[in-house]
Amino acid sequence: MDLVRLQNILDNTSFAILFITMLVYWVGAAFPRLPYLAMLGTTGMAIANLCIAALLGARWLEAGYFPISNLYESLFFLTWGVTAIHFIAENMSGSRLVGVVTAPVAMAITAFAALSLPQDMQESAPLVPALKSNWLMMHVSVMMLSYATLMVGSLMAIAFLVVTHGQNVELKGSSVGTGAYRDKNYQLHRAGEAVNGSTDPSTEAMDSGGVATAVIAPPAPPSISSAPPAPLSPQRLTLADTLDNISYRIIGLGFPLLTIGIIAGAVWANEAWGSYWSWDPKETWALITWLVFAAYLHARITKGWQGRRPAILAATGFLVVWVCYLGVNLLGKGLHSYGWFF
Amino acid sequence: MAAKDSFSLKLSHLGAVPQYFFKRELVPFLADLRLAIAILLILALFSISGTLIEQGQSIEFYKTNYPEKTALFGFLSWKVLLTLGLDHVYRTWWFLALLILFGSSLTACTFKRQLPALRWFSRTWNFYTQPRQFQKFALSAEFNQADVEKLVPLLQQRRYQIFRQGDSLYAHKGISGRIGPIIVHVGILVILAGAIWGALTGFIAQEMVPSGKIFQISNITDAGPLATSQIPKDWSVKVNRFWIDYTPEGSIDQFYSDMSVLNQDGKEVKRKTIHVNEPLRYRGVTLYQADWAIAAVRVKLNNSPIFQIPMAQLDTGTKGRIWGTWVPTKPDLSDGVSLVAKDLQGMVLVYDMAGKLVATVRTGMSTQVNGITLAVKELVGSTGLQIKADPGIPVVYAGFGLLMLGVLMSYVSHSQIWALQQGNQLFMGGRTNRAQVAFEQEFLAILDQMGKENQAASPTSETATLN
Repeated sequence: MDLVRLQNILDNTSFAILFITMLVYWVGAAFPRLPYLAMLGTTGMAIANLCIAALLGARWLEAGYFPISNLYESLFFLTWGVTAIHFIAENMSGSRLVGVVTAPVAMAITAFAALSLPQDMQESAPLVPALKSNWLMMHVSVMMLSYATLMVGSLMAIAFLVVTHGQNVELKGSSVGTGAYRDKNYQLHRAGEAVNGSTDPSTEAMDSGGVATAVIAPPAPPSISSAPPAPLSPQRLTLADTLDNISYRIIGLGFPLLTIGIIAGAVWANEAWGSYWSWDPKETWALITWLVFAAYLHARITKGWQGRRPAILAATGFLVVWVCYLGVNLLGKGLHSYGWFF
Repeated sequence: MAAKDSFSLKLSHLGAVPQYFFKRELVPFLADLRLAIAILLILALFSISGTLIEQGQSIEFYKTNYPEKTALFGFLSWKVLLTLGLDHVYRTWWFLALLILFGSSLTACTFKRQLPALRWFSRTWNFYTQPRQFQKFALSAEFNQADVEKLVPLLQQRRYQIFRQGDSLYAHKGISGRIGPIIVHVGILVILAGAIWGALTGFIAQEMVPSGKIFQISNITDAGPLATSQIPKDWSVKVNRFWIDYTPEGSIDQFYSDMSVLNQDGKEVKRKTIHVNEPLRYRGVTLYQADWAIAAVRVKLNNSPIFQIPMAQLDTGTKGRIWGTWVPTKPDLSDGVSLVAKDLQGMVLVYDMAGKLVATVRTGMSTQVNGITLAVKELVGSTGLQIKADPGIPVVYAGFGLLMLGVLMSYVSHSQIWALQQGNQLFMGGRTNRAQVAFEQEFLAILDQMGKENQAASPTSETATLN
């Protein structure tokens, strides 16, 4: 079959599937009791992921080099990354809220690439001399994966901000290990009593976790505190805790990728034209992204910067990644430009 | 004697004041995390300014684009811009000062916070002996009937390193997650040091050399104060040939320069064909393929010998690059033709004195102009070389290696589990620094397995936390 026609079918298909997947995730979030939606959303993401992989594979066959050299290809590679990281995040957190935020972004990127980009920018073109190097694949693919990872992490920070709207929160997880200790406003229940009164909605939440454990509940009535000292039982993470921690872990994964991607670019630049850092706008914005997420990682271990503030920084990071990825093109200069398209 | 004593006392006191200031004031200030975050974000903001304002342009450029009358945001006129150094942000004193502050903060933080913390985590006598010590953990549990011996294989399965002392057990894994951030900081400091060393001792030069010429590096565009010894004086380079490969569509595929390094006696000591992404290195100096031009055209008039006539680049504004020259067609130079070429593909345009196109010739062919035969033998290209020596590179690369290793290690979460046996009762608690969600799953799975094993061993026994 004609590779070009196959590509046209695949890019429109992945857009359509991501659009439906997004609706499935949204309906699923609005009506959590509807059956099959969870499975349907994940399946949609998986099909979109495979479609894009096939699309990029067809481009690779057609052009003979790793398909990441123009805006169209890199947008699809980014979507592939977002959908792939989506699975990691969904699997780690066990929360379907991940898809609520990642699906629309993946959908929007494919919509832009498949529908708004002019046809001549969608075709693959020969590489310019400067890009003919094995470093291209190493540098660009790692950078794109780091963008995708950081975007998913930032999106989860945004979800966390929405979920905890108007609340005071204590963060779980940082390099020094904040948040491993018991909240003072939670007291321990005796396991027997909690199970006896199992109409408590929180018991249900515990059962769905797959591990039957004793239950913690908000401050117990005074009658219980007069009972003999309660035995210890684990205090589980809440939905907000989980979102926040998985956001932190995903950004923690994207940060090394970004670091390695920037360094690969620096080494390439030094090998190719003798300067590992030349303050080119794209380079500078990659550094800015790195600095913003470095600040986020440090904010989490800072007293007085707890609660929602680091998440706000991570959410800002979402914008910074986009400026770094596309905004620099508007300046239209340097080796990193994908070309002018407005 | 007494005077001398008091003098030396004063001296030592004078010495103590800066020391006191250093330890009690400066280091805590530099090691403060809020300062670190502020530096990171301010560095980001300053860097943004350099991407929004065009860097390194002429004064006229800023005068036209940042006029005084309609200053941007009401203050950013070209005068303000140039005074602040916003035309070269990354070389201004304030940007470099911020980088130095950044380096100092990193150093202070590494010694004041990270290393002491690591010492704390690497000690192995971190045991709990009181049940109440377990109450602080979010993840803790107690079993009425359980044996710590059952816990040991469960922890071993999960690759925990186990330490025991009497009835207490301490297990941890992922200590590399605690070491990682230190390596990151050291890596950044090494990169900064390498960059400074390179800026002091390195140099950059540019040469435009026609095919067949020998040159010594002389056109230095930028050199550090200690760079003189780096600039090579005892060897030269010969450009044997420069050529361009074109794709079938006519766009440039790749530039090549076949080059030889010659020693003082003119003997070839190294030869290599370079292209973009493939430089030539010799004694710490690297020559990169960066640019090209047309140097000359070789022509023959009737039966004359072959003349090599230099070509010069013509000013087209920004509409592409063309090169031209003038060839006399009469011995008294009263008449002639202009030859124009735009690349090395071999097409030469011939114009007469009136500026009219009279012929197009391919190299190797000839044409009739002004009654004589003009044969164009060859277009001679020049290679544009970027030449650089940066003795800081090995240091910078070492820093890159450390930084990559450090960030990868920093992903690992350091998990710790404590246990205490008191008679038949077993207390367990655990925490991790990063992967709270994953650790919760792991810890609950361990509790679950402990509970099951207890039930299998003594089906009638009642455990308090697991039912």
